[in-house]
Amino acid sequence: MPPTLTGSNDAAWMAKKRTAALELLPTLAMPSEREENWRYLDLSFDPDLDSAPSTPGVASSDAIVAGWHGTVVTIVDGFIVTDGVQSIGERNEETVSVDGDDLFSTAFVAYAPGTAYLGKELLTQPVFVDIQSTSTATTFPGVHVDVAPGSDATVVVRMSSNSDQPAVTVPRVTANVGDNARLTLSIIQDWNYATRAIGRCTIRLGRDSGLAFSEIGLGGKVGRLHLDVDYIGDGSHAKIYGAYFGEGNQTLDYRYFMNHIGTNTRADMFLKGAVADTALSVFTGMIRIEETGQRTESFETNRNLILSEGAAAQSVPNLEILNNDVKCGHGSSIGPLDEDQRYYLMSRGLTPEHADRLQVHGFFEEVVEQIPDEHVAAWARERINNKYIVAQQEGRV
Amino acid sequence: MSYALEVRNLRARIGDLEILTGVDLTVPFGEVHAVMGPNGSGKSTLSHVLMGKSDYNVEGDAFIDGVDLSGMTVDQRARAGLFEAFQYPIEVPGVSLDLLTTAMAESNPEDPGFGGRIAATSERLSMEPFRSRALNVGLSGGEKKRSEMYLLGVANPKVAILDEIDSGLDIDAVREVAAMVEALRSEDLGVVIITHYSRILRYMSVDKVHVMVAGKIVRSGGPEIAEELEGSGYTEYQVAAAG
Ligand SMILES: Nc1ncnc2c1ncn2[C@@H]1O[C@H](COP(=O)(O)OP(=O)(O)OP(=O)(O)O)[C@@H](O)[C@H]1O
Ligand SMILES: [Mg+2]
Repeated sequence: MPPTLTGSNDAAWMAKKRTAALELLPTLAMPSEREENWRYLDLSFDPDLDSAPSTPGVASSDAIVAGWHGTVVTIVDGFIVTDGVQSIGERNEETVSVDGDDLFSTAFVAYAPGTAYLGKELLTQPVFVDIQSTSTATTFPGVHVDVAPGSDATVVVRMSSNSDQPAVTVPRVTANVGDNARLTLSIIQDWNYATRAIGRCTIRLGRDSGLAFSEIGLGGKVGRLHLDVDYIGDGSHAKIYGAYFGEGNQTLDYRYFMNHIGTNTRADMFLKGAVADTALSVFTGMIRIEETGQRTESFETNRNLILSEGAAAQSVPNLEILNNDVKCGHGSSIGPLDEDQRYYLMSRGLTPEHADRLQVHGFFEEVVEQIPDEHVAAWARERINNKYIVAQQEGRV
Repeated sequence: MSYALEVRNLRARIGDLEILTGVDLTVPFGEVHAVMGPNGSGKSTLSHVLMGKSDYNVEGDAFIDGVDLSGMTVDQRARAGLFEAFQYPIEVPGVSLDLLTTAMAESNPEDPGFGGRIAATSERLSMEPFRSRALNVGLSGGEKKRSEMYLLGVANPKVAILDEIDSGLDIDAVREVAAMVEALRSEDLGVVIITHYSRILRYMSVDKVHVMVAGKIVRSGGPEIAEELEGSGYTEYQVAAAG
């Protein structure tokens, strides 16, 4: 089944939404850095949103895909190219809300060729979603994970570029985790250093459901991920991990929102990042507990390593608590590598460079070990460690 | 023939605070020496200064097997044969003991003995369950000391400085550490045990005891000094040092 023209397979509801989004788009402006939501990004670029390609480029394969034990779903330039994988827009009903709330998410509704639907049948095995960009045009890759009540699912989404050309991409990952269901979801963001990625991820949790989420941020001139986890069902709970490594002039912008709506919900958010050269990383964490969210427990921690003088990290943990019966905590730190750890490791005979490599490895390990597949974890570990080793060899850290 | 460790008139300052005020200490190969002294007398500082920690302004001389340590970095001193077992071992999250010992072997490519020592010391100290755990993270006080002893066995140094390796240990663990030091005793190693208690010295033989007060060694003698101190304390020495 060859990928089809964007919109030609839309069910009636989707066609309507697409038309509405197309009509709305001309009235929407590029967001401004004056808006809190966008304040850390340099938005002085043309997102070229209506340039989405009409056919996908040529997919490539690498060792990590070849070695995957499970199902692989490939999305190239926003097109689902794996046979037999439905798009949510082809389905009879709106499985998940597709509505946009700003320029980028509205453009996604208008221009995304399809959002891969991972339902019961596909999720019987771990799924690797291989999102590739071959194009300098703006692309809109999408994935929706629909975890049936009482079931378990494991999904890894890896986003990468097949060239070093500049591009804009607007990826979107959504998930519904049914009552008593479990989802383990890893997102690996590995765009080239010329790509601006404005990503969105929204996860809704049913009663007593569980989520293990991890994100590894490697690439992107801009790597932005706005994550919303909605703890709707009573007793829903999640562990949210993140690791990111920025270098060159990368900006990595994380906005993680934990929205506690049900009672007895629990979130543990733990992000670790490093920045070198003149890179900037931003963590904006928000724990929002609604009046209904009694007996919520929610914690956020963000630790940052500054590896070069010109690099910077921002860490902004927020709490918004609308009822009293909760336990919350937040912590953040920003600083250089630890002197005592370096001294201790050197006292065992390791050169300072070797000692620092071990320390950086250890710093990220707590997050990397959360990736649900040993193979993918090993790959991510090596990628992060290599970024540091090369920076060391080039005298940038 | 050179000594395992030779320290001559070693002084160390942080800012205006002089912590080591002229340490002289000689440990021949094959011997085990104890250094005892009141809290804050500079015992840990002595081991850090010998190890080359950068916090101090240092004067004086120190030699490992005749090799002058001055100007050497911490890792160079370690590779020259100096091992410091830390009083407060540092936690390194995410770095397992196995990863560290592998890195130690990589740092000493000319020493083919690491693999054998890792296996043998691990067996001897029953380290198997700890080797995949992060360095000193979540270990009990006694487990941290055992981990330090394990690394000592793996490193196979010429000089080992054991800073309060017996503190916080239960009786059996003290015996175990003492037995391990005894087992390490060899013509290729000099050992300095920094301790507050004569207890450990009951389970092992020491060749000399040194008393350190106010940043210098004020008395050296046989093991009987340890028993003496148990009764008399340090007051007499402190008064003399202050006088
Ligand atoms: N980095 C430092 N900055 C300021 N003072 C220091 C520093 N390190 C050590 N000192 C001081 O130097 C003195 C000696 O400290 P040291 O840790 O060497 O004592 P110690 O003999 O090992 O004591 P203990 O028996 O309690 O372990 C103490 O007064 C201590 O406060
Ligand atoms: Mg001490």
